Amino acid sequence: MQALREFFNSFLLVELLKGMKLTGRHLFSGRFTIEYPEEKAPQSPRFRGLHALRRYPNGEERCIACKLCEAVCPALAITIESEEREDGTRRTTRYDIDLFKCIYCGFCEESCPVDSIVETRIYEYHFENRGEQIINKEQLLAIGDLYEPQLARDRAMDAPYR
Amino acid sequence: MSANPEQPDDQVTITIDGAEYQASKGATIIEVADANGVDIPRFCYHPKLTAPANCRMCLVDIEMNGKAAPKPMPACITAIGDGMVVRTESERAVSAQRNVMEFLLINHPLDCPICDQGGECELQDLALGYGRGISRFTERKRVVDDEDLGPLVETEMTRCIHCTRCVRFLDEIAGTSELGALHRGEHTEIGTFVGRGIHSELSGNVIDLCPVGALTNKPYRYTARAWEMLSHPTVGPHDAIGSNISLHQVRGTVKRVVPRNNEAVNETWIADRDRYSYQGIYAEDRLQEPIARDGDKWQAMDWQEALESVAGRLKEVAAQDPSQIAAWVSPSATLEEQYLLNRLMRGLGSDNVDVRLRQADTRDGDSPSPGLGMPIAATEDVDAALLVGSHTRHDQPLLNHRLRKAGLNGAHIMALDTRRHDWNYELSEELVAHPDQLARELALIAAAMAAYVGRGVVEGLHAYTGGAEPGDNHKRVAQRLVDAGSALVMSGDAVELHQGGADLRALTALIAELAGAHHGQLGTGANAFGGWIAGAVPYRGADGSPARGMSVAETIADPRRCYVVVNLEPEHDCFDGAAARRALEAAETVVVFSPYVTEAMREYADVILPIGAFGETAGTFVNAEGRWQTFAGVGRPIGEARPAWRVFRVLGNLLSLDRFEYNAPDEIHAELQGLWERQGNPSNGGWQGRPAEPWLGHGSLVRAGNTAIYGTDPLVRRGEALQRTPHAGAARPTLSPATAQQLGVNDGDWISLDQGGPSVRLQASVDDALADSTVWLPAGLEGTAGLGPVHGPINIQRT
Amino acid sequence: MVNDVCYATLKYDQPWTLDNYYREGGYEALKRVLDGPMDRGEIIDEIKKATLRGRGGAGFSTGMKWGFMPRDAPGQKYLICNSDESEPGTCKDRHLLRFNPHALVEGMIISGYAMGATVGYNYLRGEFMKEPFERIEEAVREAREAGFLGENILGSGVDFEMHNLIGAGAYICGEETGLLESIEGKRGLPRNKPPFPAQYGIYGRPATVNNTETIASVPTVMRRGADWFLEQGRPNNGGTKLFCVSGHVNSPGVFEIPLGMPFKELLGMAGGVRDGRKLKAVIPGGTSMPALPGEEMMELDMDFDSLAKAKSGLGSGGLVVMDDTTDMVEVCLRISRFYYAESCGQCTPCREGTGWMHRVIKRIYQGKGSYDDIELLEAAAGQIAGHTICAFGEASAWPVQGILRHWRHEFEHYVEHGRSMVEAAA
Repeated sequence: MQALREFFNSFLLVELLKGMKLTGRHLFSGRFTIEYPEEKAPQSPRFRGLHALRRYPNGEERCIACKLCEAVCPALAITIESEEREDGTRRTTRYDIDLFKCIYCGFCEESCPVDSIVETRIYEYHFENRGEQIINKEQLLAIGDLYEPQLARDRAMDAPYR
Repeated sequence: MSANPEQPDDQVTITIDGAEYQASKGATIIEVADANGVDIPRFCYHPKLTAPANCRMCLVDIEMNGKAAPKPMPACITAIGDGMVVRTESERAVSAQRNVMEFLLINHPLDCPICDQGGECELQDLALGYGRGISRFTERKRVVDDEDLGPLVETEMTRCIHCTRCVRFLDEIAGTSELGALHRGEHTEIGTFVGRGIHSELSGNVIDLCPVGALTNKPYRYTARAWEMLSHPTVGPHDAIGSNISLHQVRGTVKRVVPRNNEAVNETWIADRDRYSYQGIYAEDRLQEPIARDGDKWQAMDWQEALESVAGRLKEVAAQDPSQIAAWVSPSATLEEQYLLNRLMRGLGSDNVDVRLRQADTRDGDSPSPGLGMPIAATEDVDAALLVGSHTRHDQPLLNHRLRKAGLNGAHIMALDTRRHDWNYELSEELVAHPDQLARELALIAAAMAAYVGRGVVEGLHAYTGGAEPGDNHKRVAQRLVDAGSALVMSGDAVELHQGGADLRALTALIAELAGAHHGQLGTGANAFGGWIAGAVPYRGADGSPARGMSVAETIADPRRCYVVVNLEPEHDCFDGAAARRALEAAETVVVFSPYVTEAMREYADVILPIGAFGETAGTFVNAEGRWQTFAGVGRPIGEARPAWRVFRVLGNLLSLDRFEYNAPDEIHAELQGLWERQGNPSNGGWQGRPAEPWLGHGSLVRAGNTAIYGTDPLVRRGEALQRTPHAGAARPTLSPATAQQLGVNDGDWISLDQGGPSVRLQASVDDALADSTVWLPAGLEGTAGLGPVHGPINIQRT
Repeated sequence: MVNDVCYATLKYDQPWTLDNYYREGGYEALKRVLDGPMDRGEIIDEIKKATLRGRGGAGFSTGMKWGFMPRDAPGQKYLICNSDESEPGTCKDRHLLRFNPHALVEGMIISGYAMGATVGYNYLRGEFMKEPFERIEEAVREAREAGFLGENILGSGVDFEMHNLIGAGAYICGEETGLLESIEGKRGLPRNKPPFPAQYGIYGRPATVNNTETIASVPTVMRRGADWFLEQGRPNNGGTKLFCVSGHVNSPGVFEIPLGMPFKELLGMAGGVRDGRKLKAVIPGGTSMPALPGEEMMELDMDFDSLAKAKSGLGSGGLVVMDDTTDMVEVCLRISRFYYAESCGQCTPCREGTGWMHRVIKRIYQGKGSYDDIELLEAAAGQIAGHTICAFGEASAWPVQGILRHWRHEFEHYVEHGRSMVEAAA
């Protein structure tokens, strides 16, 4: 019985017609290709892209060198060195992220008690030389300064779910 | 549950959480639980301190004879009884513990992310198990002002949970009672009396004791996290105790030092010297690469070139007269370094190698081997001890801790020195004598002792007593030592530095022999005993064979053409800094192996080779009781520096010496151990080895002193935090009131002092603890470097 | 009012003098005891038979306590009199020291002898510096002159010396081991027990600590006999006791009455509730005892066992009477403030808990509380009691628990309306 059905199906080109039907449907349906880079896909406020270090509105860096991000990082991409700043507060003297090692899991962001290390929506970046992939504290703070309004907005949007 | 018929009388059986345990009567529940791995949470309890039961965290449920106790009881002070049933996990016990935890947390700040204790915090750990997810306390938390406890311990008193471990430590162990509780109730604050700070030589231990981050390590502050550090077991490099410590490093940099438990050596404590001296590893004057003098300039060179140059220079001198080469090596160098240096020197044909930098008098030649003559742990059970020329509290802090325990238990701890010292317990007798009179005092004790034990007149003693009769104090000392079941007679640092040290050592040995006491001789350095074993002394080889080289003292008095100086600064580390400098400056060739380079070195050295500092070198220290403790290096030495044993090994190859093919320190260690084990117990000089003629004394105003606690070696002198304590800094020459009056000096006056060389200007102090006609001026302090012998004539001028 | 025991001399113009004390049979008991002298065990048996119970608060049998002392063992032993009377609502010892100090001196000598102690310390609270201290010092001087103190008293071969000490005003020094620490010159921090003072008391030697009134009752027991004393009160509650009635009564004061007298009568002695108002609540034994509602109190007799049955206690005999204008939340606030301020800070539950309780009550009192806060208050009190080194934990928790037990609705009213229920009624 099975063999008979298969024989007729192939004889009558049923499979081919099925395929044609799908092709036909998509031939007339709307286009959904995004023409990157002119067009961009929509992003969630939780998007995990390039890292940044944030500051408080008064300009003070948030990071207190607790090293939780360094400890939680599964790829060991973060390297921190710290000491007591002149005013007696705990601060980093070095904050490096190796973006080749980073797997963008967002654990650093999750672990941060002061919302300092965050992942921005930036995903378009490249390096031209070896070593450039390790971004340091100044660069991270600069990224944070540049995108602070967006970062603050994203944190606010996500706040009700935390 | 019923008493076991075979159970010894002093044993009881208790049940903890359903399992039965045997324990000795009088033990507390927490001791039994700890011994058997049952976890009971606690904060205030510490096995080495008394238990006040004030944290209430260890409350457990108890049932005795089938009757439950009406309230949960604190496990830390409740003594066990036969048939007792303890429940640590019953609902009532756990709820009591949770309740206490809630109370502890209400006023504890939530600043774990910036707290140095974070990650190794007892409160944090227990809060995970016993705390609530969300606090019910919505009021403002208590804030407490911090106090300045000095350069070693940082405070964050808001975090304090009032367990009083620090208070009890300073009361019971350090004996200084420098912390106490002020105010009451919720306003209780731990603080010092009138903002004095903590100056105990053991102060750093309060950091380890503090269960929270209220007391933290000041130099370490904010530089690392508990979880990222790798721990390396090693041994304290400053005193003859050989405290077991761990270096904590991150990416090859030592961040801090913590104690390692070893009941036989340091229990759980370490001295501040061992804890904070690691800062010296990163001193600014670390030498980065080999350098050699080139006319007036210094030329950097690579190792090959440098070593070849050194080998060439040594060979040249050796070819003419090998006895013109002398080697001085630090008593804190490792056993391997000392042994290889010994072999290098003997290979070159010279026996002039010595670790006894501070020994002024070597008339007794093969003087008693350094060491305690008894196990360190046994010193806490002595019934009497006589400490000659030893401020043990500063020289060997943890030996002092043991002796203090003995003293508090009723033992007679007695001392003889040129001054009374600042002890942290009461001595039974503290004899003070002018340095010239120390031998006489000892002889009088010996005479009194000989009479007491019925030995009659001891031959040769008359030369010291001059026919005087022992006083009551001498008799008391003698009788107490003889009557003691276990006694210790020990000479210390000041005896080494004494110009008539050989007499003092012989007399000390005689007293020990007459009293049937243990005889110890402890100088400075972590490995002075090791130096002796390694044959880094002029009178014996590592195999025990006799030799006739020249000691440091002799090569200073009779300068050589060529010196090899290993890891020391002669102006601080030799008994006569000025003379040692002069000898080096006059020499043709001076080869220095040192982690540091100083201005002084640039003046006298010809080649300076950078060697690894403490922590960067693997090796072995032999402590006062003869315990060999081996440790590994941590990370790479700074710059081009290399571990000294490697440098010596290559130098040995370059000099074409036999058997220099070591690949690791263990091979050197094993070879030396073999040599040591084949020797019988070496004889100690003793009374028979006394000098032919007693040393007569200076008969004038004399400088006396010891080595300052934070001035014993180049590493600790670079321990920045330690150097800011009151135990370091500028030297204060001290005079007795009578002498001060004679010289017209008042307390606080600036005076200028000289010992035949350049003079130094220092601020004097007057103290009745001192013998007359004596200026107490220890070595290793700021301002003492240019002066002459630590024990020797001195001139004072008011300025 | 009977005034037969502690206040026997009160009828004289200058009740504190030795002469007036003689008139009331003073030092007769001492002479009788020292004549022989009497066997120590016999004295203790007499005290046991009289069922003299500790007047300081716990009501423990005095005879039994004395029995714990190793009275015949060699070595120094001490008798300590606790005159650190700091319990709010209590002022009986002050009057005793002022008006009948010789009863205490005689009691100290007899008690000391009974326990083999030759030194007695009388520890007075700092605030007693003026009159009470001066009177007891004077009494000690008079007694010494009369030959009742010193070596070989009245030729009996018995030695006893008594010293009066002044504290610095800490409530916790009234706790017996805190008091011992304070005498030793340390911070007045209570000790863990065991060891009990009878083994390790003061300066490492055995000591017994008794309340002033207890000791002052001893001479009468010895003079008039245990049977007479027992008859004054009730079985197991022998003798008379001083009660300090304060609060909303017409004539507050200290009254010596037989134990077991109905509260109703005692209230009558104090002139009844002021302005004829309704009795709302009574704290029967100093503020550390739970308060009881007026109606319940009117049915009760003033003795140790009756009050214990009513889930409160006779304590130190400091009665605080409150009429229907009293806001119980405010009472609770005031009491918790006291214990917050007086906690010694040694152990965690009390150090942290008393302040917390006070703040929660304050929040409720200010009308900012919630129902959760009432639960929290109850929980916090329960977390303190039974978990501390000394009884201060209970002392701070019980009043709060007591008020919550009977007047929870007043707290709820505060939560609901943000103001007092009592004002609303008025």
